[in-house]
Amino acid sequence: MSTDGTIHARGIRKSFGSKSVLQNIDLDVASGEVCCIIGPSGSGKSTLLRCINGLETVDSGVLKVNGENFGYYETDTAYHALSKKKLAEQRTRVGMVFQQFNLFPNMTAQENVMSGPVLVKGHDKKKAAVRAYELLASVGLSGHGHKYPAQLSGGQQQRVAIARSLAMDPEIMLFDEPTSALDPEKVGEVLAVMKDLAKKGMTMVVVTHEMGFAREVSDSLLFMDEGYVIERGDARDVLGSPKERRTQAFLEKVL
Amino acid sequence: MGSVDAALKPRLRLRTPSEYAGWVLSILVGIGILVSVLTNPNFKWGIVGKYFFAESILRGLMLTIFLTVASMALGTLLGLALAVMRASHVKPVSIAAGLYITLFRGTPVLVQLIFWFNISALYPNLRIGIPFTDIGTAVDMNAIMGPITAALVGLTLNQAAYMAEIIRGGFSAVGKGQIEAADSLGMSGSMKMRKVIIPQAMPSIIPATGNQFIGMFKETSLVSVLGVAELLQSAQLIYARTYETIPLLIVASLWYLVMTLLLSYPQSQLEKRYSRATSTLPRKAKRVALTEPEGAAR
Repeated sequence: MSTDGTIHARGIRKSFGSKSVLQNIDLDVASGEVCCIIGPSGSGKSTLLRCINGLETVDSGVLKVNGENFGYYETDTAYHALSKKKLAEQRTRVGMVFQQFNLFPNMTAQENVMSGPVLVKGHDKKKAAVRAYELLASVGLSGHGHKYPAQLSGGQQQRVAIARSLAMDPEIMLFDEPTSALDPEKVGEVLAVMKDLAKKGMTMVVVTHEMGFAREVSDSLLFMDEGYVIERGDARDVLGSPKERRTQAFLEKVL
Repeated sequence: MGSVDAALKPRLRLRTPSEYAGWVLSILVGIGILVSVLTNPNFKWGIVGKYFFAESILRGLMLTIFLTVASMALGTLLGLALAVMRASHVKPVSIAAGLYITLFRGTPVLVQLIFWFNISALYPNLRIGIPFTDIGTAVDMNAIMGPITAALVGLTLNQAAYMAEIIRGGFSAVGKGQIEAADSLGMSGSMKMRKVIIPQAMPSIIPATGNQFIGMFKETSLVSVLGVAELLQSAQLIYARTYETIPLLIVASLWYLVMTLLLSYPQSQLEKRYSRATSTLPRKAKRVALTEPEGAAR
C-alpha cells in the first residue's frame, strides 16, 4: 500500500529549554484524511504542526511523513540528521500555510506561486507561469496575479499562500491557524478554498479555532492541552459530546 | 473695522518675542560673518580662485574620488561576506566575524591607516600558504604596501566593518516568517539569501550605504598623513611651497563641499524611494506582462 500522503507519529517529545511543549504525542493521518487540531494557545498544537515539515525538530519519538523518517535517517543505534538537500526534498512534499501568510512582498502574487517550482524545482518559467495562473484561478483569484501582496486583502493573500504551497504538488498540506489573522468577513473565502481542497482528497492537518470548519470537514480531531493530546476521535463526537473535563471546559469557552 | 465677515477672517499664528529675537540675532551674526569673510584680506579669495581649477588640485580630486569609489566597492563586498559570516550557525565563523567588526570599529581609522602603512615592520615578508607546510608563496611587503595601497587597504578594511553592521541590520529586519516560508518551500540557503532576504533587506541597506559613501568621501582626507596626493595633500603640497595655507585649505574645503552637495541629491532620492518601497509597492511595473501567459486556461 502506498504511504504517500500519510503521517505516522509515535511518542513525540519536544521541549524548548526546560519547558516541555510536546509530551508523548501519537498521531496517525491516513492519505486523503483531514485532521484538525484544536486547543488553547500554548498547548503545543502549532509546534506539532511545525515538526511535520521541519520548521522544528523533535527531540525523540518516531515521525514518518509520506512513509519516510522525516528529517533523519535511521540506523540500528540512532537517527542521523539528513543533509540540507535531502531535508529540502522532503519538505517540498509537505505544504505549509502560515497564520501570517508570509508571502514574499518583493514578488507579485503570480511570482509567489511560481517561486517554488521555478527556484526550487528548476521548472520552465513559462510552464510555471501557466500553472500559477491556473492555481490562482482555482483559489478564485484570476486577474490578481500581477498584484503585490500589499495590494491584496488578507483573505486574498492567504489564498495566494495556499496556491503557492499547492504549486509544489505536495502530498500533505499543513495549515497553522490559517484564518486567525483575518478580518471576520474574510474567513469564509479561505475556508471555502480549504474545503474544496479536502474534497479533492488532499491530506490535511489543520490547527484551527474554527469549530464549524472542524465539525464539517475533518475526519479526525485532536484536542491538545499543555503538550498532551487530551482527547481524540471523530470530530462530531468530540465536539458534540466531549468525554474529558478539560475538553468540555475549553469547548464551553469557545463555542 | 468689523466690516469683514467673521467667517472669512484669517487666523493668525502666535508670534512670540523669542521668534523675533531669533530672526534679529541670526541676521546680525550672518551679516557679521559675511562682512568679515569678504573684507579680511587674509582669506585671499583671488588665490582661492587661482588654484581652484589648478591641475594638481584636480588630480588630487580624482584620486580622492577613486579612493572613495574603490574602498566603498571593496568594503561593501567584504562587509557582505562578514554579515553572512556573522549570521552563520557555525559558532567559530560567527565569532570570527564579530571580532573583526569589534576590532575595526573600535579603533580610529587614522591609526589603522598608519598601521597598514607600516605593516612591513610587523611582517617584512607576506607568506600566503598552508601553515606548517611548504605550500604557498611569499612576497616582499615593502614592495607592495605603498602609500596608495595602504590607504586603500586601510579604508576598505575599516569600511567593511561598518558595512557588515549595516547589512546585518538589513538582514535582521526581514521577518522570521519570510525565512520559514522559504524553508517550507525547500529553498536552499543561497537561494533564500538571493531571492528572499537580500531583496527585502535592500530598502534599509541602500540609503545607509549612500550615507557611508558621502562619509567616506570626506574620510579619505585622512590618508593625506600617508603622503598620498589626494585632494587635501595636493593642497598641502602647494601651500608648503607658497605659504598660502588658508586659501588652499579653502580650495580643498570647497571641493569637498561641492562633491558632498552633488552626492546628497541622489542620496535624498534614494531615501525617498526606499522609504516608499518598504511601506507599499515595488516599482517593477514591467512584470505585469506575466499575469496572463499565452495558452493559459481562461
